[in-house]
Amino acid sequence: MTAYLARRLLQAIAVVLLVTLIMFGLLQLGPAAARASVVGPSAAHQEFLLQYLSWLGQVLHGNLGVSRHLGTPVSTLLAASLPRTIVLLGISTLIALVIAIPVGLLQAVRRSSATDHVLRTLTVVFYGTPVFVLGNVLVLVFGINLRIFGAEAPQATSVGGIITDWRDLTLPVVTLSLVTLAIFARYMRSAAVDTLDEDYIEAARARGAGDQRILVRHVLRNSLAPIVTLVGLSIPQILGGAVIVETLFNFRGVGYQIWQAATNQDLPVILGFTLVIAVGAAVGSLLADVGYALLDPRVRYSRA
Amino acid sequence: MLRAPRRGSGRGGRAILVAAAGAALALIAAACGPAGADSSAGSVGTTPVSGSTASYAEEPGLSVNYIFPFVNPNYIDVSNTDDFQYLMYRPLYWFGQGTQPYLNKSLSLADKPVISGRQVTIKLKNYTWSNGQPVTAQNVLFWINMQLGLANSPNEYGGTVSGDFPFNVTNLRAVGTDEVTMTMDKQYSAEWFTDNELSQITPMPEAWDRTSATATSDCSSKPADCPAVYKYLDSQSAGKASSWASSPLWSVVDGPWKLLSATADGYAKLGINPHYAGPVAAHHISTFILQPYTSEQAEFNVLQDPQGGQPIDVGYLPTVDAPQPPPGETAGGNPSTLANYKLTVLYPWALTYFPYNYRDPKAGPIFSQLYFRQAFQSLIDQEGIINGPLHGYGKPTIGPVTSYPATNYLAPAVAKAGDRWELNLAYAEKRLKEHGWSVVPNGVDRCVSPGSGPSDCGPGVPRNAELKLSMIYASGVDYMYSATKELVSNASLVGVHITATAEPIGNIFGAAFCTPAAGQPPCPGWQLADWGAWTYSPDYLPTGEELFESNSNADAGFFNNATDNALITKTVESRSTKAFYAAMYKWQEMLSPYLPEVYQPNVPTLVETVNNLHIGPQSSTLTINPETWYFLK
Repeated sequence: MTAYLARRLLQAIAVVLLVTLIMFGLLQLGPAAARASVVGPSAAHQEFLLQYLSWLGQVLHGNLGVSRHLGTPVSTLLAASLPRTIVLLGISTLIALVIAIPVGLLQAVRRSSATDHVLRTLTVVFYGTPVFVLGNVLVLVFGINLRIFGAEAPQATSVGGIITDWRDLTLPVVTLSLVTLAIFARYMRSAAVDTLDEDYIEAARARGAGDQRILVRHVLRNSLAPIVTLVGLSIPQILGGAVIVETLFNFRGVGYQIWQAATNQDLPVILGFTLVIAVGAAVGSLLADVGYALLDPRVRYSRA
Repeated sequence: MLRAPRRGSGRGGRAILVAAAGAALALIAAACGPAGADSSAGSVGTTPVSGSTASYAEEPGLSVNYIFPFVNPNYIDVSNTDDFQYLMYRPLYWFGQGTQPYLNKSLSLADKPVISGRQVTIKLKNYTWSNGQPVTAQNVLFWINMQLGLANSPNEYGGTVSGDFPFNVTNLRAVGTDEVTMTMDKQYSAEWFTDNELSQITPMPEAWDRTSATATSDCSSKPADCPAVYKYLDSQSAGKASSWASSPLWSVVDGPWKLLSATADGYAKLGINPHYAGPVAAHHISTFILQPYTSEQAEFNVLQDPQGGQPIDVGYLPTVDAPQPPPGETAGGNPSTLANYKLTVLYPWALTYFPYNYRDPKAGPIFSQLYFRQAFQSLIDQEGIINGPLHGYGKPTIGPVTSYPATNYLAPAVAKAGDRWELNLAYAEKRLKEHGWSVVPNGVDRCVSPGSGPSDCGPGVPRNAELKLSMIYASGVDYMYSATKELVSNASLVGVHITATAEPIGNIFGAAFCTPAAGQPPCPGWQLADWGAWTYSPDYLPTGEELFESNSNADAGFFNNATDNALITKTVESRSTKAFYAAMYKWQEMLSPYLPEVYQPNVPTLVETVNNLHIGPQSSTLTINPETWYFLK
């Protein structure tokens, strides 16, 4: 297991470095002033590799540069926005999983029944609805017409303040949850359907195991593996949805800052935030692999 | 000041560039604008009450991020200056009298300057800083020395025009504690020198004249000391929003407000400064909140949710959500979801246009022909833009001085002539054919008669030159997108092929105001560049020396006309008020039909004010005075 983890960790580091290298390569296409803002005026005219190593050295010392547009250190922007986005993504992903897993399981068990058709239709609707449409509809119905929930996300600066403001937190969380829920539920259904067709399920039944035991011990455990992988790999995709949700709900998180930076060609911010997202995605993928290995021992032994 | 979708920062001029100003983007202030019409329903009290908090929606994408009023071009925008810094650190002269962009004597820190020949005398009133020290002549010199000390550096004041103030004065002196004198390098119009030169000054307190928390300096006497002082003050301003309120620097204010708290997100909370020595209304709010928004849709959502955690008292209605005004009316009603608000229309003191690049190797010689500019302006449907994407809100631009809000500065003859260039495809085609172009509707026109004769294409336009133009315009602005698409369509009908590309506002400024530097890549080429508008602030007189005089800071397209230059000089150097207006009117009468730029509609902001809040008339200069706002009970 240790060797497996070490190998996965090295792969994750390689992925992060590769992403930064690609991003840095793209930076060379930008104006000289923009490059200088990232690596400093003295390094701006150096060879590409030297520039990259110089920037990497800054990053390893915790210096992600200063926003060209805002004049604020990128690390300050990250410190202000990252906790918010983690709260938003964390809660919405958790809710999505809590709902999607039983829904997918139910659909698989009642395959081709009316329940399955209704739930499948609903998940397809949410899956196919653009985030901005879904968010706007929810705001119009629940924020403006019914006034049950707030039309903007919490404006508190502390994580505690954000979490406790349930009225304002509900709609952005629900918007993101519905989209990710639809994806997770569809995968869960598919995985559970495959598992239910396995021979060992028949064998368990033949040995007299009850439905509940089969469902929890065999179907759920074996169907979770692809979901765990999916969650890890979905981080960048969920973050893409967060760009829209944060802009729509006036929530100054990572997604909004990236959008602003892209609009203003604020390269230090783009690079700094991309690095953090790459690290997040790599860590997510790593955790998924670890989770997968824990759920299915064959994985760690077969790849050791 | 770029005032567009997040749109950024000023470039190259002391007046402020407004990217795509626009209802869609520019939150200005709250207001009963000149064309304001109260559309609210519902009953509110009539008794003014003191106290309470009013929240104010900042422009979408813009937010307070710099407190030091000596703003470099990266930070000069309406959120930082008009909405924030001016509330705490008063400019020497305040502009905004009712809805008009005129000098406001009662809110200025000094009496109107006495200008006699080349001598200028500024007499300060009895204002004090919140630490008890008086606002002195030395505080005025502190600012001017800072401008001198940082000249031609990337951190120079965003309103500086090279060669102009303070480089056009000598013998700067503080006479006692309350008088500043200076000598102009030649005699200028008193109106121009007051409104476009002295308007830039914001006195700075002695407490700021230091290079660290413990080391004082002498920038207020020696410009050479100023770069180090600037470096320290900038370091205490940029990226340190959360510490501003407790800072011993920024807590020294002379305006009616002091900062209570701020965040890196652009949120700011201000309280009344009890030591403010200026006029104070009998009833007024006691706390003022600036609330940032990620998008106009986010702001509009909050506006419709008055029970939210942070409701808006003064905000704005995106044009796209505004019901069309009834025929003949300047303002329409509110959407049904905004029953708690009254809608008013505020036109900024701005000129909306986009430039031709007269130096483009291919298109420049064509743009230089008056007949072409006449034809091209006839392809612009200003009324169509106003009644279409702007939902009935907007006023056509008719010359180099905006016609709305109506001011003394607009030449009566130009005002009377009105919009002489309404959409007229037949006229455009006729003008092109009259000047040697083979017009191919839905194709590409070609010059078939090169030369300089009255029926030729004009000097520098070769045979078979094609009317294929490129245009860059600000992305993310709905009305500008629609207007550009319509222009492209109209132009194609007379064989003018335009390739229009939406670009981030920074790219457009980067191209239009690029100055080639040694060792750097050449400037990107452009032919037509539309970023929106120019707001007259902190230079409030539309005398043309910044936009239309050759080689001026904001003459992006290098327009150059000897008569125009001479008339601008005559205006700026006129020796009496009468001569000033006569010269300015003559200049407009000459330049208006000359079409130096492409005229576009002036776009207002649709201001929403909660029904029980009185905010009075607001200025087209975009300055706000929340110290005069009060709630009704």
